Amino acid sequence: MPPKRKSNISINIEDVGMEVDASDSGSEVEARRKAKNRRAKPQRKAKRVSDDDDEDEEEEDEDQSPRKRGRKKKAKPRDSEDDEDEEEDNRNVKRKSSKASRKKAKDESDEESEDEREKKKKGASKKDKEESNKEKGKGKGKQGKDVGAEKDKKKKKNRKLSSSFEEEEEEEEKSDEESLSEGEMAALKEEVEEKKKLIATLRNKPWRMKRRLTLLKEAQDFVEKFEGALGKGKGRKLFAFKVMMAKKLIKFKRDFENFKTACIPWERKIKDVESHFGSSVASYFIFLRWMYGLNMVLLGLMFGLVVVPEVLMGLPYGSIPRKTVPREEQATAMDYSVLSDFEGYFKYSILFYGYYNNERQIGLLKFRLPLSYLLVGVGIFGYSLMVVIRTMARNANEGGDGGDEGDFTFSWKMFTSWDYLIGNSETADNKYASITTSFKESIVDEQMNQKDENIHLRRFLRVLANVLILLCLGGSGYLIYYVVKRSQVFANMNKDDLTWMEKNEVEFVMSLLGLVCPPLFEAIAELEDYHPRIALKWQLGRIFALFLGNLYTFLFALFDEVNAKLESEKDIKNATILALHEYAANYSSFYNTTVVPPQNVHPADVIRGPCWETAVGKEFVKLTVSDIQVTYLTILVGDFLRAVIVRFLNYCWCWDLEAGFPSYGEFDISGNVLGLIFNQGMIWMGAFYAPGLVGLNILRLLSSMYFQCWAVMCTNVPHERVFKASGSNNFYMGLLLLVLFLSLLPVVYTIMTLSPSFDCGPFSGQEKMYDVVMETIDQDLPAFIGNIFLYATNPGLIMPAVLLMVLALYYLNAVSKGYQQANIDLKKKMQMARDEEKNRRNNKDSTNQVMKDLEDLLPNKSLIPPAAEEEPPPPDVVVDKGSRSPKVKPGAAGKGVHLQRDVSLAAPNPRDPVTRDLGPRRGPPGNAMGPQPGPGKGRGGGRGGGRGGGRGRGGPPRP
Amino acid sequence: MGSKSSSLNKIPNAQELMQETGFSAAHILRLYERFEFLDVDQMGELRPEDFGAIRELSMNPIGDRIISAFFSPGKETVDFASFVRILAHFRSTETNRTRDGAQPEPANSRTRKLKFAFQLYDQDRDGKISREELLQVLRTMMEMQVTEEQLQSIAERAIQEADLDQDDAISFDEFRKSMEKVDIDHKMSIRFLS
Repeated sequence: MPPKRKSNISINIEDVGMEVDASDSGSEVEARRKAKNRRAKPQRKAKRVSDDDDEDEEEEDEDQSPRKRGRKKKAKPRDSEDDEDEEEDNRNVKRKSSKASRKKAKDESDEESEDEREKKKKGASKKDKEESNKEKGKGKGKQGKDVGAEKDKKKKKNRKLSSSFEEEEEEEEKSDEESLSEGEMAALKEEVEEKKKLIATLRNKPWRMKRRLTLLKEAQDFVEKFEGALGKGKGRKLFAFKVMMAKKLIKFKRDFENFKTACIPWERKIKDVESHFGSSVASYFIFLRWMYGLNMVLLGLMFGLVVVPEVLMGLPYGSIPRKTVPREEQATAMDYSVLSDFEGYFKYSILFYGYYNNERQIGLLKFRLPLSYLLVGVGIFGYSLMVVIRTMARNANEGGDGGDEGDFTFSWKMFTSWDYLIGNSETADNKYASITTSFKESIVDEQMNQKDENIHLRRFLRVLANVLILLCLGGSGYLIYYVVKRSQVFANMNKDDLTWMEKNEVEFVMSLLGLVCPPLFEAIAELEDYHPRIALKWQLGRIFALFLGNLYTFLFALFDEVNAKLESEKDIKNATILALHEYAANYSSFYNTTVVPPQNVHPADVIRGPCWETAVGKEFVKLTVSDIQVTYLTILVGDFLRAVIVRFLNYCWCWDLEAGFPSYGEFDISGNVLGLIFNQGMIWMGAFYAPGLVGLNILRLLSSMYFQCWAVMCTNVPHERVFKASGSNNFYMGLLLLVLFLSLLPVVYTIMTLSPSFDCGPFSGQEKMYDVVMETIDQDLPAFIGNIFLYATNPGLIMPAVLLMVLALYYLNAVSKGYQQANIDLKKKMQMARDEEKNRRNNKDSTNQVMKDLEDLLPNKSLIPPAAEEEPPPPDVVVDKGSRSPKVKPGAAGKGVHLQRDVSLAAPNPRDPVTRDLGPRRGPPGNAMGPQPGPGKGRGGGRGGGRGGGRGRGGPPRP
Repeated sequence: MGSKSSSLNKIPNAQELMQETGFSAAHILRLYERFEFLDVDQMGELRPEDFGAIRELSMNPIGDRIISAFFSPGKETVDFASFVRILAHFRSTETNRTRDGAQPEPANSRTRKLKFAFQLYDQDRDGKISREELLQVLRTMMEMQVTEEQLQSIAERAIQEADLDQDDAISFDEFRKSMEKVDIDHKMSIRFLS
């Protein structure tokens, strides 16, 4: 299909032409302009400084350029009616100026013979090109059109009625029927020719090497890009192919980005929630998702290295005592009540520590399960610490680049927040909601910013609130302490003498505190009147402190239990050994032999110890499960039932339930976040004793994601003061880190100090759990590594290491402080630069305005005296200006406004205010230090002082 | 005009339009196709109802304003030339190129784009967005749960932010200043027109 291919090529070329043009034409045109300037300057006013090759000069050249552009524009008579604004679009101006410069070049053709020749050549070549081009273009156009028609028909058939812009887009991507217009082709050719010429003559130009090099590079790039487009045969095809690949690549990248977004789990759900409830509620769900990710890795570690190997390669259930349910429990081992307590089959399952065998190596792979168990248990902490800290660091980095976005918050939201591609009504609803929410968030922020009240009262109230809350916390702490003490006394008494109240006192008090304190704190926090975002942090911190008491009692009870178990275990161990000895003695005396065969007892009947590790693991699992139950029940009853009642009872109730007392629930961010964090603490602590807990937790997080999303969307209402969450939820992370550290302590303590049970778990038979590592070092690793370990654990080595770390910490801290300072300074500088820029622009604007208005007012259309003194303007330009200025005014009303404004601005703006301000900074006046210019180069006086003021950036266009 | 023509010859004043708006031939063709598609009764002119077929516009809170921007005041219909001229505002800026024909500022310049957007808000065409006009937009953009008071305060703040000359309204200059850092060239360009 030759015609099709041709059209294909042509469209590609065109596209590229556009892109490249967009990127290149600016610089190219500028270069040309500069060249023109250079040539033209000597003819101009003596005061105008020709831009020499000095760096600073170039900068100034930039500053002058608007003026030059303006002048060139004015030189052209056919400015249209649309030319309403004095500040033209840059690109447009450039195009115009290039045109103008070309024209001017022709006018000035008598200035340099070389130039003249060039021009002629160019003209001739252009004509040639155009002619040939036209022919080509026609042929191609026809073919392209034919193909296009065919395609169109096909497309029409396919098109549905509801075709949208997006579909259009896609079709556009597919369509191949574009063709280059002759004019564009010609223009391109011309540019390429020009570039080539530039390359050829660059050697002769009186420019600096640096500039020559950059120009050369630009030109070469340009030629390379477009020669392919305009050439014939092979080069052209290759070029088309390249372009096609580039387009495909871009499309692929876009698709890949979309795919990546689609791969983020629950992104849509969270966005839904965010649009209705604000970023604060969404931050909880994002945290939940993050937690899910973390736990997935923990699950992988735990199951991949411990659980699955044991299942696949370890001994099966029922083979040894620790893997068998004891005889007396077997009758009830499958009862629901037993199972729900994690007794029975659950207790002797893969879920818990006790099930794992202490065989050093299992299976074909000789997998060292006990070692792996210990390393995974510790590795979970290591990985979690690493991830949490890394995330915190990354979040902290993200925080800083806010800049000064707060300038036009409301205007931007109002004018630009709608997404014009939304064509789906559901999406549109979400967008409405999110716009509303974001406005509300901004309102809250704004209110906080504008508040100015009695600061002393506020401080007093804040101190008061903190005192109150400290009292509350202290009181509840003491209460917990007291209750725990009492429970220890009760524990020593006979269980039958105790009432129910006495037995469950600790739990009762704990849940009461958990119920009463958070609302109390919230009420007290009202006094402080913080921004809700900060208030949430305080609330989180306070409830966290309260929950620490919870943790304390829990651990306290646990250690009591462990100690008791250890005692009884010792007895049982001794009794077993004694029995074994007795059996051996009896056997040897009876059969009169020293070879005692092992006792043949069914594994279910073997006497066994209490196995405190499994008991601890069971506690954690039970706690987690009950936590899940409580959370879900609270949601069902507290939110869902409430919502149902409020919704349906409202039809037949005395007052408005929806607006009045019960209303719908709000999403409790602090409670949920803390629940999540403490739950994770339980997982960390419990995972060592109950490997199955990690899996359970994954299920919990997964279900809670869906369940809570649903509950929020259908039963809760947004907060009264929706507030924007801080971009990074580092506060959550900080709390999590603290909990991680706290949960690390007991686990490490038990690993390092308590001796493992003698008859259950991977470490049975060892004195301490970490002996597994020692054993491995001794037996499986070369001797020198053992020596290294020996040295490494020497206190003489550890102390210096700690010292070194402290020093490093100090040093890094100092460095980071330094960076912080530098950052602040830079920010200040940027702000200053921005302000300066703004000032300059504004001043130019206003000065222009003043000038124009004055021109309007003055009958003889002359400029104000100071300007005239400096540079008497030639009359033609002034006339142009005068004829142009009426167009600048949009209407009578606008004029009135401007006049008013100008009156106020006119006084402080005597022509060049900014330049004068900047004068001293740009260098000492009188050019004391600046490079001395050679007068032959047409560079007038110095740059500083009065001269600088004369040709400031702010001034209106002057010739 | 019954048959689907895709040649430029069938389109009235195609060359002039290309000159004027900067669209390439392919763009014009494409737009013409689209125009014919929207033009249900094949009159060669579009009525406001025809734009309703575009779901993006019917979903848009200020969709009817955008539609009405296509119609010059007092006219009930829009012909292809004006249709293209309006759409030229949305041409991507990056594709501007040096052309031989002398031209005024193209419709897709930043200023013109802003002007177009500005006029969507400035309903009474007095060159200023008044507080009332802002409130109208806000009401269409927000859900029901926002109180009138909040709307007032939003409008108040928006005007405060942008208003430089204290006339309690946003003039075009002020509008442009407030949008200075918004990437209008990107936001107000339709990709298939680039």
